[in-house]
Formats: sequence, structure tokens, C-alpha cells
Amino acid sequence: MSTDQTNEIEEIASHWLIRRQSGHWAESDQVRFEQWLDASTLNRVAYLRLELAWEESARLKALAAGIPGDQLPPPGRWNLTPFFDAHRALSQSRATLGTNDLPGTLASDSEPCDPHLESGDAPAPDNVYRAFARRTNRLVLAASVVLAIVAGFAAYKFSGGGGDRYATPVGGLSSVPMRDGSKITLNTNSHVRVALTNTERRVDLNQGEAFFDVAKDSNRPFVVDAGKKRVVAVGTKFSVRRDGDSIEVVVTEGKVRVEDATRPLRHAAVEGFESTIAEGAESAVFLTPGAIAHVDQSGVLVLRKSVSEAETHLSWRAGVLMFRDESLADAVVEFNRYNVRKIVIGDPAVAALRVEGNFRATNADAFVRLLESGFPVRASAEEDRILLRSR
Amino acid sequence: MEEPLDSWFKREILSHEAILMSSISRVWPRQHEVADIRQEAYARVYEAACQVRPQAPKAFLLVTAQHLMADRIRRERIVSIRAGGDNEFLNVLVDELSPEQRVGAHQELARLARAFDRLSEKCREVIWLRRVKGMSQREVAERLGLTEKTIEKHLRTGTRRLAHYMRENALTPGVLPKRHEEESDEAGSP
Repeated sequence: MSTDQTNEIEEIASHWLIRRQSGHWAESDQVRFEQWLDASTLNRVAYLRLELAWEESARLKALAAGIPGDQLPPPGRWNLTPFFDAHRALSQSRATLGTNDLPGTLASDSEPCDPHLESGDAPAPDNVYRAFARRTNRLVLAASVVLAIVAGFAAYKFSGGGGDRYATPVGGLSSVPMRDGSKITLNTNSHVRVALTNTERRVDLNQGEAFFDVAKDSNRPFVVDAGKKRVVAVGTKFSVRRDGDSIEVVVTEGKVRVEDATRPLRHAAVEGFESTIAEGAESAVFLTPGAIAHVDQSGVLVLRKSVSEAETHLSWRAGVLMFRDESLADAVVEFNRYNVRKIVIGDPAVAALRVEGNFRATNADAFVRLLESGFPVRASAEEDRILLRSR
Repeated sequence: MEEPLDSWFKREILSHEAILMSSISRVWPRQHEVADIRQEAYARVYEAACQVRPQAPKAFLLVTAQHLMADRIRRERIVSIRAGGDNEFLNVLVDELSPEQRVGAHQELARLARAFDRLSEKCREVIWLRRVKGMSQREVAERLGLTEKTIEKHLRTGTRRLAHYMRENALTPGVLPKRHEEESDEAGSP
């Protein structure tokens, strides 16, 4: 069976399915429908598969409670996971708290991030201001205001030394359009240098994390240099996060190649698996959508996930951190990338708590408040940090 | 009386689509064929279950997919980078329990919501009114000022995409209705 056939059967199955539910279904339709089902088991299973999806879509009702009227909730507005897994018993009663009053969720503030549009809407001021507010020192207060303003602007751009450089501060997030139609989204505390030539498009990721939406151009490979490794693509979407010499690559579309930065760069080698075989896969690794690769001196470890799971790793592009059954220790490490005032975990019991939920990356305060209000955690705000302990 | 085959098939076989997709796409070099193999595996399992329902449905499904792939490799002389010289690679499939297997009802719901969120705005609206608010197709058409044909088109596309996104484990571009189809206004019938 071919892909076209599979697609066509599914298309026809979808017609039958929706027609049957349409209110315009005649005896003669039923006869033709049954003939079609009996004609091939491939037809039947395609139909059953869509019918299952149709049936399951009604379960969205369970989530509609609390949404007024006929209103369609905007994407990401669902707040559905009990917040803590390790304390399931607790979370039964707290779930509502975690879901409805959560200031940190995607709820109202998940706009796409374009620095040029967002420059007035600094994500940090509230947060940073509060972090420093207890101090009376005027100088510090002034500094925090400066910081807040900076965080709200786009990446700083500097030129010189070949190519353009862009950087974001802690808590910053910005999109940089490139002349070839590609787009780079820079995460917190990141720094890249971009150089376009006739033969290649090169980005040095000096620090931090960036997502690349690469315009297709098979004559000019798109190369991201991240220390000892580089990532090569033609037209695709992926992110690279650098931590010294170890990098994490997440691919959501197309295919990319990870290889040693010392290799001579080959052109148009992203086409197929054949090339991998031809050159021996020892130092180059191909990544396909859904791949999350961790790369360091000792090698490459690839986790194969669904694209949607991979995308949860990229929720930072909307200024949001998404945790799916992660330890609080890991969640805190993430938050601390985005905030000047760090969260510190004071005892192991707290570190081991499991967290789920969506939060504004720069609003650690909201996250901490929520922890405190529902769970056996006490937060003490100190000058430059927030300490979490068991209660 | 025995449960009808169709509902057994949905519960015991179709519910394993995510792990099926990941086990196929892990070994199969051509990602666009993953959906073909999946559908063929479903068909074979369905036919077998007409006779006798397998005791271990999931394992049976995965083994069926393995055999299909082995057949194809022989037939088409495909070389998979992970296939090596023999069928060794196939043996790893069944033992791998993906975490998806352990998801609870709650996470299923979360998965559904996330799938729903990925639909186009119009699809979301139509499916919301039709499936959640329980309106008839005609009522949805009146509410939105669209023809019933157009509503049907959105429902078809939405359902296909939901089926895909909910159990997604690999990109299978071949089975995805294209975006522009959602936007266009024509609607055919079988």
C-alpha cells in the first residue's frame, strides 16, 4: 500500500464518518457505506480509527466546565493537570487552585513574542521590581528599573568582527529576522553571531539557547556552530541550547545533522539516510522531528519523542515554562535561567516533589506563591534569593 | 455475549497507536511510509481478530507490524540504517514499554486538549460547538454563518488531525490533510 492510498482511504473514511453524523443520512447511504466497509479491511480500520477520534473529541466536555457560555477557550487556556504528582492525595483538593487561580499559566499572556511589538510590554518589571522592592537603597532600586527596561527590549544588536551579533539579558526573549527569510528566536541570556554569505548561512551560538526557523535554500546550508559541535540544516525548525561544550538540540520539523565542528562542511548532505551510510555514521548524527539530542564530548544521546512532546521543550518561545512530571529541583533550575533573583532549595524533600504545569518564565514569584499556598513548602524571601524548605 | 469486534478493536488495538508509531518510525527509514505500515498492521490484526481475538493485543499488534516491515524489507530490498544485515533489530520492539502505556485518564485528557489546541482556529470552533456544546451540524452552520458543507469539511479535517495529533509519535506528512484544504471552501463527498 502506498502513502497516497493511505491518505485517500482516510479522506474517504472522514467523509463517511461526518456524513453519518450530519443529519442527512439515508437508507441508500447506509447501503453504500457498508459496501465500502466490506470492500477492504483497510477501509474499515481507517474508519474505526477516525470514529475513535470523533468519540474522544466529546471528552473535551470534561474540560469545558468553568468556561462560560459557548465561548471557545483560546489555545493553551486549558489548565488540566493536577499540579503535584508525589502528593496526589493533596493535589485532589488543590487541583482547582492550581488550575483556576494560577497566575503563572498560559491563560492570558501567551502572545507570540516579537520584540518589536513587545518592547513596551516588559515581561520582567513586575517581577524584578518586587524582587528588589524590599531594599531601601535607592541605587539598587534604580538599577532594577534599568534592568526591567532592558529586559523588555529586543536583543541588543552589535556589529563588527564579521557578522551581526545579538544578545538577550537574563529573562529576555526576542525574535531576530534574518535577511534570507529565516528567523532566530533567542532565549534568556543568550548570544549569537550571524553571518550570511553566498555559500552558507552561519550562526555562532556563543551562549544560551536559540530556536531556528530556517528558510529553505539548498545552496546555502544553515550552520549553527556551538563550540565543538555544529548543527547543519537546509530548511527546517530546530533549537540549540548550549551549556559550555555540551549542547541540546530539539528538532520539530525537517532534518538536521549534528557533527564535529572540525569536519569539513559538506553541501547538500541532508537529503537522505544514504549519505549517512556512505560516510559512516561515526561522527555525524541525523536528527528527525521529535528528536531531543544531548551532545557532549562523550557522545550523542538521542531521545525520540513525539513532535508535540519535543515542542514542550520549546515553550520558552512563548515566554512559558512547561513542566510535565518533573522534579521541583529541575523546575527550579529552569526558572533560575530566567530570573536574576534565584530560587534555592533548602532540603531534599522539597527537591523531590513532582511538578506539572505551565508558568510564565519570568514570574518566579507566582510559582513560589502557588507552591506555598498549596503544598508543604515554606518560602522565605531573602535579599537576593528565595529559599524553599519543607513545612 | 462477546463484545462487538469494532469496540474491542478501538480499545485494545487503536489505543496503542503512539507506541506503534514510535516502534515503526524507530526502525523504518522512510518516515512518510510509517502511516502505511500502521494501517496495514491494523488491517491484519483486525482480520486475525475476526477469527480469534489475541490474548495479548498490544504485543500482537507490534509483532504484526514487525512482520510487515520484515516483509517489505525483503520485498523492496530496502536498507535501513538500523536494519543491519538481518532482522535482529526487530526483536527489540515488543519489550520496549513506552511511558505512554502508563498514562492515566487525566493525561489522556491533557493529550486530547493539546491535540485540540493545535487545530486551526476554525476547526477548533466548529468542533467545539459540535462536540462539546452538542449542537447539530445545521445549528453550527447557522451560528457561524457558513454552509453545512463547509462545516462538514472542518469536521473532517479536524477529526483527521485530532486522530493524528493525539497519538502522534512521528511526523507522517502523507496522512495529514494540508493546511490549505482547511482554508479552501469546497467540499466533496464520497
